[in-house]
Parts: sequence; structure tokens; C-alpha cells
Amino acid sequence: MSAAARTLALAALLLFIALPLVQTVVLSFTATLPQDGLDTGQFTLMNYARIFDTPALVASIGNSFIYVTLNVALCLAAGLPAAYAFSRYRFTGDRHVLFLMLAFRVTPPVVLSLPIFILFANLGLVNTPVGIALVHCVFNLPIAIWILESFISAVPREFDETAFLDGQSLPGFFFSKLIPAIAPGIGVAAFFCFIFSWVEVVFARILTGTGGKPITMAINALFSFRTDIGLVMAMTVFSLLPGVLMIVFVRRHIARGFVIRT
Amino acid sequence: MTPHSNRAWLLLLPAIAIMGLVAVIPLLTVLNYSFHDIFTLESRYWIGLEWYGEIITSQRFWASLARSALFSAVVLTIQVPLGIAVALLLRSTRHPTLYLMALALPLVVPWNMIPGMWLTLVGPQGLVGPSLIAAGFDYKFTALHTWALIVTMDTWHWLGLVVILSYAGLSAIPRPYYHAAEIDGASRAAIFRHIELPKIAGALAIVLLLRFVDSFMIYTEAFRINAGGPQGATTFLSLDLGEDINAYSYGSAAARAMTYFLIVITVVWAFVQVTRRRAQ
Repeated sequence: MSAAARTLALAALLLFIALPLVQTVVLSFTATLPQDGLDTGQFTLMNYARIFDTPALVASIGNSFIYVTLNVALCLAAGLPAAYAFSRYRFTGDRHVLFLMLAFRVTPPVVLSLPIFILFANLGLVNTPVGIALVHCVFNLPIAIWILESFISAVPREFDETAFLDGQSLPGFFFSKLIPAIAPGIGVAAFFCFIFSWVEVVFARILTGTGGKPITMAINALFSFRTDIGLVMAMTVFSLLPGVLMIVFVRRHIARGFVIRT
Repeated sequence: MTPHSNRAWLLLLPAIAIMGLVAVIPLLTVLNYSFHDIFTLESRYWIGLEWYGEIITSQRFWASLARSALFSAVVLTIQVPLGIAVALLLRSTRHPTLYLMALALPLVVPWNMIPGMWLTLVGPQGLVGPSLIAAGFDYKFTALHTWALIVTMDTWHWLGLVVILSYAGLSAIPRPYYHAAEIDGASRAAIFRHIELPKIAGALAIVLLLRFVDSFMIYTEAFRINAGGPQGATTFLSLDLGEDINAYSYGSAAARAMTYFLIVITVVWAFVQVTRRRAQ
């Protein structure tokens, strides 16, 4: 492939990726409904100002942060020992458990939505960020285990043995040796748990009928007979920012998380 | 040698506890509901396999299944080769990380926002709509246009994942492999066929699996673009299920959900068998 063709292909790719995003950002700075003496189409910061004036929208940003953070913490806390077990030991039924985990990652959310709602209603977990954080483990915990397993397997076994010979306990070894050694892996696992939890809408919708609405549902609620598209787009830009920050943080390691043995 | 120790199960306990609560119990509940005719959750009657019989003898189910299968086929045929091509292209650029970051952007957009972004884009006031019209293509909600928009949108959304995974696989290929191929005078195609493809097979297996499942169950996007229309042309399996739930027909919805789950899990199981056999 010639250099010119390569440049052209990459430019086309970037254009394709950028267009919807550029459109969103442009609209978020545009007055789309005639109000406050602004003509439609005019440049304005009003859409962003309105987000901060609307308590429900501000609260939704907080709710999203709470459940996504909780979900990442849960997935790492439960995923790390499990990944260690899969990486370092053979045990009865290990392959079946691994397949079962995969099966839950590929279960469509709609399949589980009804019983999850009933179960969580009984446990008092509906309309709370805790409920969403828990339910997102259905697909994030398997992903976390899988990514962490590949990073742990890249660490030589002698690394553990030396630590244990020095008399370190398993929890002590996890915190002082293993976690620092696979820090990039933890970052990548956290990244994928974060984005899948942040963008998910099926569970987030059924579990937040009245309270605890996340950003995604708050945006849904903005659609009405006369939807202020500028405001919607400003919220969408807001919903993008944390993900963009995450991408910046894990950029060097993002591709490594998926180098898996075949 | 990997030591055999059943004490490793203890390390799995937290994960199993969580998955038991949010995955196993709900799945068994759906299974139970699917054998019942449900008026309210307290008054329900055992009817065995009746719902399943009704579903698999209905024209509507097979039509939706065909549409979902076609959609997955189209999506995989476009996204997988395109993703690999982009990953290969990125290998020869100076700042691959920047491109990977750009490609990851659509992955962090909340799913329910994506249809709105695209509808605005191709609409008469959007950045692309007017140029489409000038080029003689007016976006209408015909079957073909709706399909094209959903496929384009899905490709925009997920291409990054395919590229990231393929690129990860390619990065793991040691340099000497390429040098050896160069000395042997191997063609570009031969290098791809005999060095690169086998090395990214593992990552590709995951790509195929994830893309299959997510495209087979596409809901939000299809629903928002045209609510399954026109005339059911984009009514996929998940939209049928949504309709049952909205109609409070829980027994039927549960049976439908189980049917979809069985289809997905059968495909995944067969896929895992094939990849394991090839790996041996």
C-alpha cells in the first residue's frame, strides 16, 4: 500500500469516527429552542448552564459515578482472587466454571431483566446505585477475570514462590507484590468494567423507576414533545468526559489486556 | 506444571457469590416462569412447554430470527475484516496509540445516545444530511435505509473493539518472525496467512464471540431508529421480547428469553468446541 493511500485511508477512518462526535459537540453549544432572547442556531453556553441549574441532572451525574465506581471495585475485589486461581492452579471443574462465566458474559441483559427486578425489589435494592453496581457484575466480572488472568499469567510463577518462601501470606502477597506487578492489567480491567457499566441502559432503566437515575436515564427523560436537542447533546458531552479521561489513562496498556494465549 | 489444588475454589468464592445472586438465581427464575401462565406473580399456572410450542410454531419468531441472524452476519462480515485491516494499517503508522484512542471513543458513548447522534447527523439539518441530499441520496426511513443506518451506526460503535483486540494480537508477534519471512521472500499475503492470522486467532475468537452476541441481541439502536419498522423490517428477536414485556405477558416473555438464551449459548458452545479443537 502506498504512503498516500495509507494516509487517505486513515483520514477517512478518523473522519468517520469524528463526525457524530463533532456534531454532538457543535449542537451542545447551540441554542436549539427559541428562548431567553436567543435565536435558534446561535452559539451559546446556556445548555451547559442549564445542566447545573437542574438538580435532577446534577444528581444523575453523581448517581452514575457512584454505581460505576462501586461496580469497578466489586469486579476487581472478586475478580483478582478468581483470576489468580485460574492462572496458577488446576482444579476440579475449572474449565466448566470458566465456560459458565463466559456464558453469563454473553447472556443478553433483557433475558435477566424481569427476575432481577423482582429479586432486587425484594432485597430493597431498586432505585439505588448499589443495585445497578451489583447487576452490572453479570457481564463485567467475567471480563475482569479474563483480563486479569492474562496479566497474571504473564508474571512468572517464581515470582509467587519467592514471596511465599519469604513467609508472606496470600493476602500480603496480593497487596505488596502481585497488585503492583500487574498494575497496568488492573487499569485495563477497570477501564473495561468502567465503560461497560457507564454505557449500559437495559438494567439501568429497569432498576431506576423513580430514584437513583443515572445519566443515561436522565437523558432519556429529556425527550418530550419539544425536545431541547442542545441540552440533550450537552448532557451527552458530559457523559463522554469520564470515558475519555479513562482512555487517556490506560492508552499505553489498552492493547495489552487482550494478548491472550490461544 | 500447573499444580492441582481444589483449595483454589476458595479464591473463587467471592466471584461465585456475586454471580450466584445476579446471574444464576435470575436465570433459574426465568426458566421457571417460562413454564407458567402468569396473571400476577402470585397467581400463575403451570402449563409446561406451551409457550415454547407457541413461539416455535409462529411465523413471527422465525422471521425475527432470520432478521437477527442476517444482521449478525452482515455486521461480522463488515466489521471483522475492516477491523483487521485497520489494525494492520496502524502497525505502520507512527502514533498507533493516538488512533487506538480515537477508535475507542465511540465505546464510551452511552448506548441510548448513539441513535440520536446518528439521526441528527443524517437529518436535513445535520452535518452530513445536506451533502447526502446534494449527492442525490435523501435519507428516508425505508427498509433499506434503516438497515444501512443501523449497520453503519453499529460499525461506528464497535469497530474500535475489533481493532483494539486485533492490534493486541498483532503486537504480540515477535519481530524475528517478520525477518525470517523477509529472508524467505514471503509475499504480504503469505505473511498475513501464515504468521499474522494464526497469531491473532485467539483475539479474533473473542471478537467474533462478543460481536455475535451483542449484534444478535441489538435492541436500543433498532428501537430508537425506527421502532422495528418499516413494516417489521428491523424487528429483531430482542424487539419481540420487549413487546411481550410491555404487554405484561411475562410467561411468554420468559419462554422467548430462554429460547434466545439457548440459541446464543448453543452457538457459543459450538464455537468454543471448534476453537479448542483447533488449538490442540
